[in-house]
Amino acid sequence: MNAQALHRIRALVVAKGLTAASWIPEASEGRMEEASIRPARLEEDPGLMVHDVGDAEPWPAAVAFLDGIQRYDIVAHHGVAPLVIATIAAAVRERRDRQLRTVAQGFRRLAVGRPVVLAAAGDALEGLHQIPLDDQEPIHPLRDLTAVRRAVDRERGRLEIEVGAQYQRNDGDWLLVDGSLTASPSWANDPWTIGIVKSHSILPFEGADLERYLQMPCGSRSSVFAPAPSQVAPVFSWALRLWPWEGHDVFFGLIRIEAAPTRRTVEAADQISRWLLAERAPLSTPDARWDRLLYGFRAVEMFLKTG
Amino acid sequence: MPHEQPVGRVVATELKPSTPYQFFFWTARESPVGIGAIVKVEAPGRTVHGIVTEAFAYSDLVTPMHDVIGADGDPARVGTQPTDRAEIRLYAAAVLRQTPEEPLQPVPLAPVFLAGDEDVATALRMDGYTAGEESTGIPIGAYRAGGLDSPVYLDADFLLGPEAAHLNITGVSGLATKTSAVEFILNSIFQTFPKHKGSIAAVCFNVKGPDLLFLDQPCAITEEDRKLYDRLGLVPEAFANARYYAPYKADGANLNTLRTHEALSENTEPLIWGLREVLDYADVVLNRDDIDAKADAFIDFLAERVVGKKFDDPTLRDRPFQVQTFADLEGFFRAIFDFMEALGRGGEVWRTHHLATIRKVRNRLSNISVRSKGLVTDDGRVNDLPWSRFEDRGVYVIDIAGLDPLAQDLVFARVVSRLREQLERRELGVDHVVVFVDELNKYAPADGPETYVKKMLLDLSERGRYLGLVLFSAQQFRSQVMRRVVGNAGTSLYGRMDMDELATPGYATISAATKIKLATMPKGELMVRHPHFTQPVFVRFPRPAVLSGREGVERFPPETDLPLDAAVARQLRSLDRSITSLAIKDLIDGRRDEDVLKALHATRRMKPDNVMAYFTAQLGQRVRGENASGQARPVPAIKRVEDPYAP
Repeated sequence: MNAQALHRIRALVVAKGLTAASWIPEASEGRMEEASIRPARLEEDPGLMVHDVGDAEPWPAAVAFLDGIQRYDIVAHHGVAPLVIATIAAAVRERRDRQLRTVAQGFRRLAVGRPVVLAAAGDALEGLHQIPLDDQEPIHPLRDLTAVRRAVDRERGRLEIEVGAQYQRNDGDWLLVDGSLTASPSWANDPWTIGIVKSHSILPFEGADLERYLQMPCGSRSSVFAPAPSQVAPVFSWALRLWPWEGHDVFFGLIRIEAAPTRRTVEAADQISRWLLAERAPLSTPDARWDRLLYGFRAVEMFLKTG
Repeated sequence: MPHEQPVGRVVATELKPSTPYQFFFWTARESPVGIGAIVKVEAPGRTVHGIVTEAFAYSDLVTPMHDVIGADGDPARVGTQPTDRAEIRLYAAAVLRQTPEEPLQPVPLAPVFLAGDEDVATALRMDGYTAGEESTGIPIGAYRAGGLDSPVYLDADFLLGPEAAHLNITGVSGLATKTSAVEFILNSIFQTFPKHKGSIAAVCFNVKGPDLLFLDQPCAITEEDRKLYDRLGLVPEAFANARYYAPYKADGANLNTLRTHEALSENTEPLIWGLREVLDYADVVLNRDDIDAKADAFIDFLAERVVGKKFDDPTLRDRPFQVQTFADLEGFFRAIFDFMEALGRGGEVWRTHHLATIRKVRNRLSNISVRSKGLVTDDGRVNDLPWSRFEDRGVYVIDIAGLDPLAQDLVFARVVSRLREQLERRELGVDHVVVFVDELNKYAPADGPETYVKKMLLDLSERGRYLGLVLFSAQQFRSQVMRRVVGNAGTSLYGRMDMDELATPGYATISAATKIKLATMPKGELMVRHPHFTQPVFVRFPRPAVLSGREGVERFPPETDLPLDAAVARQLRSLDRSITSLAIKDLIDGRRDEDVLKALHATRRMKPDNVMAYFTAQLGQRVRGENASGQARPVPAIKRVEDPYAP
């Protein structure tokens, strides 16, 4: 949302008796995840192994990239409870003949706050999708913000699923989703949809397996495993090292791939990995996550942020 | 062709803001927009026309190093990435016109469209002079971009006076741009010069090779060029009324030109001047060191008191002098020198003129008749341009390519001065004259001494428009021409340019991209500056519908120098086709060459009905040297006498 629109809303809610605020919380543009280990079940190999996937190969058909963005601003306080205005957006950009074109997109503006805050703002929030927070707990401005972030994450996930559903694919065209597929059974069960997870807050192994998992050399993948169930839909997954980690950190160039929980996924893991290795170029610089962020996803982000 | 879909959108940043005179816009990667394209920005309440002057493309690549890393350091892998980087085609455009013009504001951030026909007319302000009954538009070529082929017009009031005038063309040699452009533009002027502005003619100086020698000879036109002529509302045709003038070679019989093919002799005639014609422009033949008050005074004396007058001075000789020719003048000088010599001591000054001054003037004037033999005659014969009888839409080509530089200067100075005098007095026969001079850098160089010709060109460029005397000039390097002369040209054309030339300060206002376009411009394209166009525009013009010099000499090969009888016969045949070489040979057999040439030139000058009879009469009676008795007398032997001193 641009500064002018925020200013207008701020002025309207102030007129309703709220106190103006202007604060963009840290990490307001990213999803949150807590670091943990949730042991996974191997679906390939008797023990965790590292596979050399071979040379990179170009993707044989059209590929689409789905990603979303979020951003929120605290525009006012009712007492000490924050009123947050958030913008979420998602889009699918399809690549044909090396060119990316936007084929589906969605956009939503949210007003997030405790019910009492939303009520106080009244018609100043007209046109915004209102998300009331749970008001069982007493007001704590920072804890409320954590709740806001979760609510916005949820809404963004929903929007991404909606936009993904808008994208009607031809047979053989792949959809790459920036993030986990587990939020949507339709994604998780689709053999042509692949999730690319850059975050490693939740690790699937521990001990020697974790060491093997995080020290894989460039161009290799882990055995396919089934992550511990946490969300809606089960998936199969494996890790792939895109760039050498030596000299950086153990997560450098490491992505986790999610696909439908079928034998076919296990059989296709090397092939899909080779295709993904080819996606290392062009680099997604200057994004700091360039070692894991595929260029197609960066293009979607750029489109959403500047559109 | 209407362009309803936008091709771009104006963008402005703090570093690259929109201003009232410049803006930036981006387009899709595949777009017909290029350097020189005219575009229109449409915003509520404001329309801006602009011309693309610079282009940029870049991707989201932050540093080349990232490309190296992305390709694993292998150049062969560059370009094999599955996704092309996002890239931008960003164009800078200079504003041609804003509507409304007041208040003048920055160009709005709005969609950009390709210009249509009407937009081109509006953008170049041609709507002000091409509409209405008294249109003054002169087609110069077609603006081409995005499938558009819009005619571009110059304003006759600004090309041929009185508001502004003169045209200058710059371009490297060998691409046929300069000469072709002038031929096309002259033809365009002749076809479209508005009636209410009166009559017009052109005088062209052919200064090299056969460049302008076949303006009256049509050539084949391609279908594409024919369409372009149609689009411009012109007919592809040669000049219907062209006359050629060339001096003789030193033999006085063969013309000093490459246009000597007999089929072209009808409108090709000699240019011959006598003493009077030269004396009026004596300044031209005197070099800078010669010009002093004393020499001037003596030349004035000759011009006012002697040449063409009856001059009586009993101290020189008993009978009056009648100086009409160089030969007469030489006799006059001889008489002065004889008189002074006879005086002995004290004989240094004659009628207040010092003997040294008289000798200097005599040497210079005599010299011209030697150096310009063929142009200047000793015997007073004259064949000149049709002064006072210039014809509307007539082209008069003077071939001075084979002349000594001094003689070229003389021709140039005299012709332009006479044009000026006659236009001033409104007695030339036409209201406007275009004078075309190629190799302007030779006649009005940026450096070098102030010559008569240079001063005259400057005067012509500064004041000619008030008289209807218009200078069309051309040169390879504009930077080598006197700034004030080219600076006075209201209209400037640029063909393919040399990069070194483009690096000179005179081109500082042209963008780098436009310079590259100029340096690589194909044949038949020009960049045009005109007072109504706030920015230069690129146009394409069709090839002129006349034979080029090279084609001309191939189709009409120049004749080799002919002997006197054949040369005379050929020249007389241009007056009477029935005259044969054999008849002339018989007629002039045994005659003195000077007498034959005198008779020839008198005949050419008179253009009598009965050419042969007139020529014969001019030759006069044949005088044969023969003995009275009809028999050679033997020479009597020397009477032998005894030599008293013999040993």
